[in-house]
Amino acid sequence: MELAGFPYLSAILLSCVVGLLVILFVPRERETLVKWVSLAFSGIALALSIYVYCSYDKSQGGLQFVEKLLWVEPLGIHYFNGADGFNLPLILLTGIVHFTGVLTMWELRGRVKEFFAFAFVLVLGVFGFFMSMDLFFLFIWFDVSLFPMYPLIAIWGTTRKEYGALKLFLHVLAGSALVLPGIIYLAVASGLQTFDIPALMQPGVLAPGQQRFAFILFYLGFGILAGVWPFHTWSPVGHVAAPTSVSMIHAGVLMKVGAFGILRVAIFLCPIGWEYWSPVMAVLATIGILYGVFVGLTQTDLKYVVAFSSVSHMGIVGLGLSTVTAEGLNGAVFQMFAHGIMTALLFSSLGYIYDKTHTKLMPDLGGMSKVMPVASGYFIVAALAGMGVPGFASFWAEVTVFISALKVYPALGVLAICALVLSALYMLRVVQRTFYGQRNENYAHLPDVSFGLGLPRMILVAVMVLFGLFPGLMLDLIQTAVVPFMGGLSK
Amino acid sequence: MTWLILGPEIYFLAVAVIFLILSMTRPDRKRNFSTALFLAGLGVVVTLAAIRLEGSLVHGAYRVNLFSQVFKALLSIGFFLVVSLCSTLNGIKETRHSEFYLLLATCTLGMMLLVSSLELLTVYVALELASYSLYVLVLLRSGGQQMEAGIKYFLSGIATSALMLFGMACLFGATQTTYISELTLKLPGLLNTPMAFIGLLLTLSGFFFKLALFPFHVWAPGVYQGAANQVTAFVATATKVTAMAMLVRLVSMGDGNTSLAHVLVALAILSMTYGNLVALIQKDFKRLLAYSAIAHAGYVLIAILSMNPTGYAAAVFYAMAYLAMSFTCFLVVVKVASDGRDLAIAQLAGLHRRSPLLAMALLVGVFSLGGIPPTIGFTGKFLIFNAAMQNGYFLLVLIAMINVVVSLYYYVQVVRAAFLLEPEEELPAIHLSAPAIILTAVMVVVIVVGGLFPRYLFQLAQAAVQALQ
Repeated sequence: MELAGFPYLSAILLSCVVGLLVILFVPRERETLVKWVSLAFSGIALALSIYVYCSYDKSQGGLQFVEKLLWVEPLGIHYFNGADGFNLPLILLTGIVHFTGVLTMWELRGRVKEFFAFAFVLVLGVFGFFMSMDLFFLFIWFDVSLFPMYPLIAIWGTTRKEYGALKLFLHVLAGSALVLPGIIYLAVASGLQTFDIPALMQPGVLAPGQQRFAFILFYLGFGILAGVWPFHTWSPVGHVAAPTSVSMIHAGVLMKVGAFGILRVAIFLCPIGWEYWSPVMAVLATIGILYGVFVGLTQTDLKYVVAFSSVSHMGIVGLGLSTVTAEGLNGAVFQMFAHGIMTALLFSSLGYIYDKTHTKLMPDLGGMSKVMPVASGYFIVAALAGMGVPGFASFWAEVTVFISALKVYPALGVLAICALVLSALYMLRVVQRTFYGQRNENYAHLPDVSFGLGLPRMILVAVMVLFGLFPGLMLDLIQTAVVPFMGGLSK
Repeated sequence: MTWLILGPEIYFLAVAVIFLILSMTRPDRKRNFSTALFLAGLGVVVTLAAIRLEGSLVHGAYRVNLFSQVFKALLSIGFFLVVSLCSTLNGIKETRHSEFYLLLATCTLGMMLLVSSLELLTVYVALELASYSLYVLVLLRSGGQQMEAGIKYFLSGIATSALMLFGMACLFGATQTTYISELTLKLPGLLNTPMAFIGLLLTLSGFFFKLALFPFHVWAPGVYQGAANQVTAFVATATKVTAMAMLVRLVSMGDGNTSLAHVLVALAILSMTYGNLVALIQKDFKRLLAYSAIAHAGYVLIAILSMNPTGYAAAVFYAMAYLAMSFTCFLVVVKVASDGRDLAIAQLAGLHRRSPLLAMALLVGVFSLGGIPPTIGFTGKFLIFNAAMQNGYFLLVLIAMINVVVSLYYYVQVVRAAFLLEPEEELPAIHLSAPAIILTAVMVVVIVVGGLFPRYLFQLAQAAVQALQ
């Protein structure tokens, strides 16, 4: 057993487990109490993730906060958590999105207890997935984060909820059906019979042929969850059907689970396969960027628009990963974080408008900025961030990715940048139709967002601006992981 | 004092005798149930106390070691669990309750003898003792389709027994012995002769039948649906566990034979695929569980056909896991259909309001069958796939995983019924007694904790398999 000081990472997981248990023992009639308990424990998780993020020693780099415990000896399974420059941004992201998600759902009515219980299971899985350095646990957390999606969408969702929930569930689990054989294959093929990621990462453990083969399994398996074109079809349907905070977690965090899986498992363990398949990844990612933008242009349902913008933005992550360069990786990880915050804000502000007007169709709305100026403001800010306007975190992420893409794949890079220009067009189209123009008198009496309900949106905007103005806060951290990793490859 | 190693067997014989006597007295439902529950609980204690015993009797034809004792413990736990469901034994007429317990005890006794048998004729006799008890148990249900199910079960059962006897005869012809310890030495060299090969396969088929492996599955849907809920619970837990144990024991005789492995690979793929595809269209919950059992027979066979110690240990672990998760599903069936009727999936509607605890148990049990972590069902599948991968069966594992995804569709339909659908008319809440609440909670905890901390159970399974050699 190895422990470097107080187990902060396990404490994050524990705060989710304890939160879940406390919720289970609160009587179901006391809905407000359930919400306060959720808020408290998600706040603890957020505080811990901020602490871990800030106290990571950048000068030292490498894996820190390591917790390693032998779990099943004959199979080489360890309970192994660690934090490095790759997963810290995502742990922080999960903490922020979950906390703001709880605040966003403050007005939820009906089966409140179950909702927050399932949400804690979901977030527990996501946290665990990001921090785990053992393939067995990685997979457990992966599935733990997936299965609550079904009840969360099917029970509390809206448009075509059961169809959306089932489609999402079967798609992402089909992905896990590829990941599990891949994981076992690696453990057995290495001859080490271990699921320890750092041990399997050593150069020479896996033959080039094995790496090329296993990479496909992981890329497809995790790629489904990351919304890689053409496996993205579940994601718009699922996003649209899901209730607001689930959309936030789902688009903001869960799709990153897929992208991070590609990074942590596929790229870390099969770097030769990564180099070999990277052109294919680049093409799929670019198609995804373009496809998301073009389909998004024709949608009238606001949630569909945001959902397709997610497909497009996740394409940017994929493009960054496919460059096989340090800048590309750097940008991809930063984009995961930035897109997570941005989409969470988009869905969160949309959620408020939908709760009040009960419609998310653009033609029915219009002139919303005159009715609820503050609520509209949040959406417009998020839309600006989505276009890649400087001053927001996503600007730096996208610039980094595009610069490295232009170097490696000039043609695809140019196409992707064109798509970015188009994405400005479609976001502006949404903003213009929904928030400006003729006011719909039916909604004229609706109240604007109150301070309490505006709080989660304020937090998200603040985070986006903070990392937009000081990108070094995150890029320096990611750099500590990228540089040694890429350095190890070139040897 | 060597007879002391037969402690569990003697105990269950005594239980059977007690119920034989009780069956001659005036039927008294309450007395029968509390006696059975007490004796079953004591049975668990007895088998657990006997778990470290070792020894052999009758010239090595009957062997007591960790392998057999682990399975005896599982069987007595299964017996106890099923008996604990019998407070509402409404599918069976009250006058027949003591016969029900009697047959349950003899069946358990037969299976206990079976897992210790190391000689083919002893195996056969023990198997028939268990089987005949089961044939009658299926017929005990009052009213309805139990006749058809019972006759089907009986006819296909004795046909398989005949096949199995023929296979044993072939094995004897090829090797001139019926002792498994000698067969283990002689068979690997002889398995390329048709007589020994077919002999072994036909001998295995007796247990394929018990496991409801394709193409020996025909009885399963009818029996699952036609028998009383408690009897089905017993068929779905205890007999499966025994069949898994015996398959491990018999297949390990032909260790490393590739053509045997190929046949088993084909059977595993067919069984998984057939079970899962047909389950997709089922409306009755017990019938659905029958097809799910056919699919699970395929998964277990993957572990066994890997023919390495990890694989056998994975099969033993899966037997434990299957006992827990299958029983949890039947617990829900028995509690929801407390009047002893069959339970359609649609009748689970509104369960989350009628009894949140049962709904949660159903969610955990069904997802465990579906292999979603962190449940014991997932860990079992993980061990199985790990063992198969060690022997290079990558494609087989992939096919199995695709099957797992297909199966999730129908498992989700069950969850959907319990959590999403609302019943047409308002149904009253289901009140569970305090022991039932504890039992349900314990099953949920066992499934989750067993999935997260497989270490000790897996070590036990490994130790049991080592005793096999």
